[in-house]
Amino acid sequence: MITRAPRLALAAFLLLASLCAPATSGAREYLQLFVTRPYLELHTGPGRGYPVFHVVPRDDSVDVLFRRTDWFKVRTVRGVEGWASLNDMQHTVLADGSPFHFELGDRTGFTSHRYEGGLFAGAYGGASLVSGFASVSFNSQLALEGALGAYYGRYSNGYTGDIGLAHVIAPEARWSPFLTLGVGEVRTNPKATLVRPADRTEPTAYVGGGIRYYLTRRFFLRAEYKAHWIFTNRNQNEEADEWKAGFAFFF
Amino acid sequence: MESGIRVFLLTAVLVALSGCATVRGWFHHGSKPAAASSPTAVTGAEEEQNAPPRVVEPEVARRQIKVPRIRSSNFELGLNYGVLSIEDFGSHASYGVTAAYHITEDFFFQAEAGRSKAGRTSFETLSGNIQLLTEAERRFTYYDLSLGYNFLPGEAFLGRGIAMTNAFYLLGGIGGTDFAGDTKFTVNFGAGYRVVPSDWMAVHVTVQDRIFQTSLLGYTKLTNNLEARIGVTVFF
Repeated sequence: MITRAPRLALAAFLLLASLCAPATSGAREYLQLFVTRPYLELHTGPGRGYPVFHVVPRDDSVDVLFRRTDWFKVRTVRGVEGWASLNDMQHTVLADGSPFHFELGDRTGFTSHRYEGGLFAGAYGGASLVSGFASVSFNSQLALEGALGAYYGRYSNGYTGDIGLAHVIAPEARWSPFLTLGVGEVRTNPKATLVRPADRTEPTAYVGGGIRYYLTRRFFLRAEYKAHWIFTNRNQNEEADEWKAGFAFFF
Repeated sequence: MESGIRVFLLTAVLVALSGCATVRGWFHHGSKPAAASSPTAVTGAEEEQNAPPRVVEPEVARRQIKVPRIRSSNFELGLNYGVLSIEDFGSHASYGVTAAYHITEDFFFQAEAGRSKAGRTSFETLSGNIQLLTEAERRFTYYDLSLGYNFLPGEAFLGRGIAMTNAFYLLGGIGGTDFAGDTKFTVNFGAGYRVVPSDWMAVHVTVQDRIFQTSLLGYTKLTNNLEARIGVTVFF
């Protein structure tokens, strides 16, 4: 206990120091960009609805402080700070004259990428399901993916966890179907008023398929079906259908 | 059941076969065929041989420009405090946390979790000693995922010198609620107002309704649980 307190204090101090560090270190180096169009418009906020309050003339430079969604907070040489849109920033150049390019994701990225993640709403064995997934791709067609979900039913609540392989049949297509196969576990908490049955965790296996639809940038929609087999230690195994659809992204 | 297992195993084999057949190369993302680059390399080498010998070697050191990374600030973390009106159980203080990710200038994802405590129903108050729920069951915990949409962007002014950007937003999502010894699937929708006094922080005022089905009072009904809260968030 005696040795713990100073260590805790040190940890708290380090955390505080790391939080304050970006604010106190003024020597941070920013990206400098030069305006090539007649002018660069600066808005008061990061959105098309916020008014333009300043323009930076051609050949003047701006420092890029940070980015929020499609907007860059920039500072002019005179110290005026404002928000410039990504579309306008695409027409600026670096100090060596090469055009500024910012990667936002495209169809090529949708075809071949390393990681995926997403959130779903759906149904699991007749119960309402909220679920999320993450996957790592070996190549454009084969990926290892894991999913976690919570379901809320009339007779039971519970959690599901799956891990398996996904095979994308046509990765270059905008509507891109895939097949999945894997194993998992399901935790069931039955609801009962008189006799309270014990919570149980059982192994499962699933096979399924679905479709992905590329939206824009790094985003796509994903809908899928999984047929689960639940291996119980009772006389009969159980089956559960899982339907879900949601929003996903890749990077 | 037997046929179910058979179908499952058969599908497993089919997926595995099709999966293996289409594997063009493990761990080779976007690798270009090497043959494409070799002809240009050969012509480059030929030109080098045909060119006259250089008398003076130019000593031009090309200026290397370091491109600093642009920091992104799309996440928003915050704490909030407010009042939650639990249907049939009165209004009580609630507190919670939110985490948001701004996808575009219009849309954001938000995860919310919060807690409040239910009071006594009017039946419990009038009947004297009867308790419908235990103390632990009166705890109301919610957690959900919502999609937000920003609209009516503008600026708020404080006196002559201070202008702060602001926006209204709509929220809608799904999640769960732990209440009365049970977890219920919950749908939520609401609206809020965000003022951004500085680049790294924001102040929110949010009103959100959480709707779930309950049969606690003997019959099944949808309950509306309205929450009004004020929160402070930090962008990073």
